[in-house]
Amino acid sequence: MHRLIGFIKQIYVVLLFVLLECGALWHYASSSPYTEATMLARTTKIGGAISQTVTNIGHFFSMPDENRMLTARIAELEQQLSAIEELYGERTQDTTLLAGIVDTTLHYRYHAARVSSITTSRQRNYIVLDKGSEDGIAPNMGVITPSRQLVGYIVSCSERYAVVLPILNTEFHIGGRLVHNNELCKVQWDGSSTHEAQVIDLSSYADPERGMAVNVSSPRLPDDVLIGYIESFESNAQKSAYSARISLATRFSVLDNVLIVENTHYDEIERLTDEATAKSNE
Amino acid sequence: MYKYTKYIWLALGVLFLQIFLLDNISIALFLRPMIFPIIILLLPIEWRAVWVILAAFVVGWIMDLSLGGAGLYIASLLPIVPLRRTLIYIISHLAVESGDQTGLLSRMTQRQMIGYIALALLLHHTLFFGLEALSLAAPMQFLATIVCSTLLSTIVAMPIVRIFAKQLTTR
Repeated sequence: MHRLIGFIKQIYVVLLFVLLECGALWHYASSSPYTEATMLARTTKIGGAISQTVTNIGHFFSMPDENRMLTARIAELEQQLSAIEELYGERTQDTTLLAGIVDTTLHYRYHAARVSSITTSRQRNYIVLDKGSEDGIAPNMGVITPSRQLVGYIVSCSERYAVVLPILNTEFHIGGRLVHNNELCKVQWDGSSTHEAQVIDLSSYADPERGMAVNVSSPRLPDDVLIGYIESFESNAQKSAYSARISLATRFSVLDNVLIVENTHYDEIERLTDEATAKSNE
Repeated sequence: MYKYTKYIWLALGVLFLQIFLLDNISIALFLRPMIFPIIILLLPIEWRAVWVILAAFVVGWIMDLSLGGAGLYIASLLPIVPLRRTLIYIISHLAVESGDQTGLLSRMTQRQMIGYIALALLLHHTLFFGLEALSLAAPMQFLATIVCSTLLSTIVAMPIVRIFAKQLTTR
């Protein structure tokens, strides 16, 4: 307390100046709709520029880690590609055909993107990515981290930006699957912790255990995308289903590079599902 | 010791001139003389900054109340306070020594004083008209207003500054 008073005594002139100046500017800004709108626009622009600079500095210092991670991923993909080429070459004696075939028949396409802004402290959080419809991004595409952990899915996009509904949003829910026995469940977020989510409707035959991995089971994303690991679980009163808490694999506080996953069959699946739903409602 | 009554009379005189005369003269759109910052510019540089900040706040507040500035006069006058020593050093290479009570302003030559007042008024006018317009849609008119008004303000202020500076040297 004494230190605080001492510190305030040292800077009280600057403090007084800043207080009076800010008070005057605030009074002037709120004096008419024009000044209010113009000054708000200016401060937003300045705030945005500062935020962008801070983000850029953060990106710069996180580059060595990202490079290491990307190098490891490239090596892994190269290995997979050479294995496929080898296998395909053995069967067709023509490895050059592979590129064209892969491009036309690929089930999932990946687009790299970066996080422009993110909120994690609200009940309904959103993430803005720096890729939009100009880059081939569309709503309902899944979003994962480069190490294949679930982030969310795209809900809307402009020409240059896309908005993600992340798992850290109380509106979010997605199908899940226990890795060890393929039991299906639903995953949602109750807004209590940014590190945990809830698993519901897990069958009584699932036999969950602490530490079991839960993967995604959704037409938006491949099945090997990890959601998290079971932390605790309990059965309901009728002993007919389990609910569980899972620790999320994705660390949203350091989220930077992401992959947008495009399921090229998604529209077809959705159309079939809609038709089936319409028929069952008739 | 400073004769505070001199400063009070200076403040009252300049405020009276600004509010009842200069603000009612309409010469041209880009000619708006504002001499009230000299009340703050002529306060002893050796004074504690907190008193000068409060004095600038009071002067700005009176101007805002009288002319309906809604904080504009305070906001444009306050930033001049921490810049006074720097402006004087740029113009005259004079600086306040520790325990100096001789009056830095009274040691300045007339030419240095004109430079100091003109530069400070230019800064004040830039801030004032910048905040007032909040736009650079008409940059030439904006620049013309700043330059012409600063020149006119300096010309109007200089006789007052000269008389006051004489009072300072004869105290």
